[in-house]
Amino acid sequence: GDAFLPAPQSISILSTNMKHFLTWSPVIVQGATVRYSVEFQGEYEREYANGSWVPISECSLTTATVCNITEDISATVAYKLRVRAQLGTTRSQWGTTKGFFNRAMTSLTPPLLMVVADGHHLLVELADMGPSFQFRVLYWKKGQESRVQQKVLKEVSSVLHLDTMEAGAEYCVKAQAHVEAINRSSSFSPTQCVRAQGDKSMWL
Amino acid sequence: SGELYCSLPNPRNVRFESVNMKNVLHWSAPEGSGDGVLYKVKYAVYGVGKWIRKPECRNINRTWCDLSSETSDYEEQYYASVKAFLNGTCSDWMETARFNPLTDTKIDPPMVSVSSTDKSISIILTAPEKWKGSPEEESISLLQVYPGLQYNVSVLNKKTKKRWFFSISNNTLVVPWLEPGTAYCVSAQIHVTTPLLDSGFSKEHCIATLKDK
Amino acid sequence: LGACRVSMSMAEIRAGFAAIKANIQSRDPVRSLSILSHPHSLHKVKSSDRCCIAHHLFTFYVDKVFRHCRTEDSFVNRKISSIANSFLSARRKLGQCREQNNCVCGEESTEKFKQILANYEGLNVTSAAMKSLGELDILLDWMEKSR
Repeated sequence: GDAFLPAPQSISILSTNMKHFLTWSPVIVQGATVRYSVEFQGEYEREYANGSWVPISECSLTTATVCNITEDISATVAYKLRVRAQLGTTRSQWGTTKGFFNRAMTSLTPPLLMVVADGHHLLVELADMGPSFQFRVLYWKKGQESRVQQKVLKEVSSVLHLDTMEAGAEYCVKAQAHVEAINRSSSFSPTQCVRAQGDKSMWL
Repeated sequence: SGELYCSLPNPRNVRFESVNMKNVLHWSAPEGSGDGVLYKVKYAVYGVGKWIRKPECRNINRTWCDLSSETSDYEEQYYASVKAFLNGTCSDWMETARFNPLTDTKIDPPMVSVSSTDKSISIILTAPEKWKGSPEEESISLLQVYPGLQYNVSVLNKKTKKRWFFSISNNTLVVPWLEPGTAYCVSAQIHVTTPLLDSGFSKEHCIATLKDK
Repeated sequence: LGACRVSMSMAEIRAGFAAIKANIQSRDPVRSLSILSHPHSLHKVKSSDRCCIAHHLFTFYVDKVFRHCRTEDSFVNRKISSIANSFLSARRKLGQCREQNNCVCGEESTEKFKQILANYEGLNVTSAAMKSLGELDILLDWMEKSR
């Protein structure tokens, strides 16, 4: 086991919408399958547990060069990640992320929103973004931009009733995602406008 | 009680089954024990060093024992234990896991009552009550136990087959501007965020809006 | 928590604890002793003292409990790390809040916290730490009830 194996390079974290992935460049050894193991260290481990590291079993001796660390980055503190290569009994040095990663740095995208008018009822459908998310939905009657109303929605797996609309009026809606755990919000989705059913055709 | 050596197989799967904090101890008979097995039950408040016998569940042949009144303080946690007897021999005491009435209970769906006019339906939701020992006792709504309790309400237009969802904190909902002479079916669920507790959806209550005058 | 409104991911901590509750509590064979709930209950703490007691309790868990809860189970260790780091983050906020609101601990509550430490010191360190971790839902129930 004394052959030299270089540590993985280009170690970085991709984090979008509170889903975090560690990636690295493969270590190339001709004709051989190199495996990798990943460990994390939170602020607690650094400050109170002698700088210990916690292995991620799903990414132990994996051949992939990416590891889903979402489940383990589950506190809003500074984390470090490291990965090493292994070929047979030969192990490389650990390659460690430069600086720290805090999930508050995740990039948040605006929610996918669909607005529907059903008679006099203003309805929205929002794509689920995961358990950490809730949605701030703003809506207003077109022309009355100063009288914006707001609803905060958590349950999103269906068509949600927002409000009832005045006959024939046009209403506009936009939404942003909010993550309470990191106290941040995405930008707003594009505004969508729909028109309520008019009076004359109303069941005469 | 003269139990020197207990060679009877143990009761199995000893656990609390709890709905709206009606906390009932359940177990399965010892393997291969056949008829004639009797049981006795004891319980303990976690952190207090005393096991307490349950007289009403002494020498019983059923495999459950209602411990609701003994475990009604949901600021405490509990253990319960069962021992089996047959033909002069006995089993070991078999314990539950630690039982926390607040987090380990299941919640029934809310009661739903619906009324209608020609263009609207009104929905009143009532959260279930916490179990109580007798009708005279004061009723405690689960709303008081779980202050963050919310309702998810589903309204289905039977004609268009379109279903809308409402998420509300108070217990009344009026849905205006509906189609006259149309059947709408309503069902509701209780949702508590922390501790995470969801009831199932209630059965559907259908009502038709009145025909247009 | 009295004067302190601290946003912390209670749902995440609850989920983390729920995932390991049975495992951790099964490692605590002592039914007759509790760290947090006997002889005095947290639920009897005056509301004005809650902010201070909560900060003390978070410090207690961070300083004394989590470090002695390492197990042979990798899944359990990862969940303990997640809870410990969440407690660290929450304690920081509680600490800031205590300073801003000058939350003081009353005599009664100081006595209560001393009792908790005495309960803890009464057991060997690993048993005490595992028992304290197994009582996390007692702490979380109290904190939520106090909101």
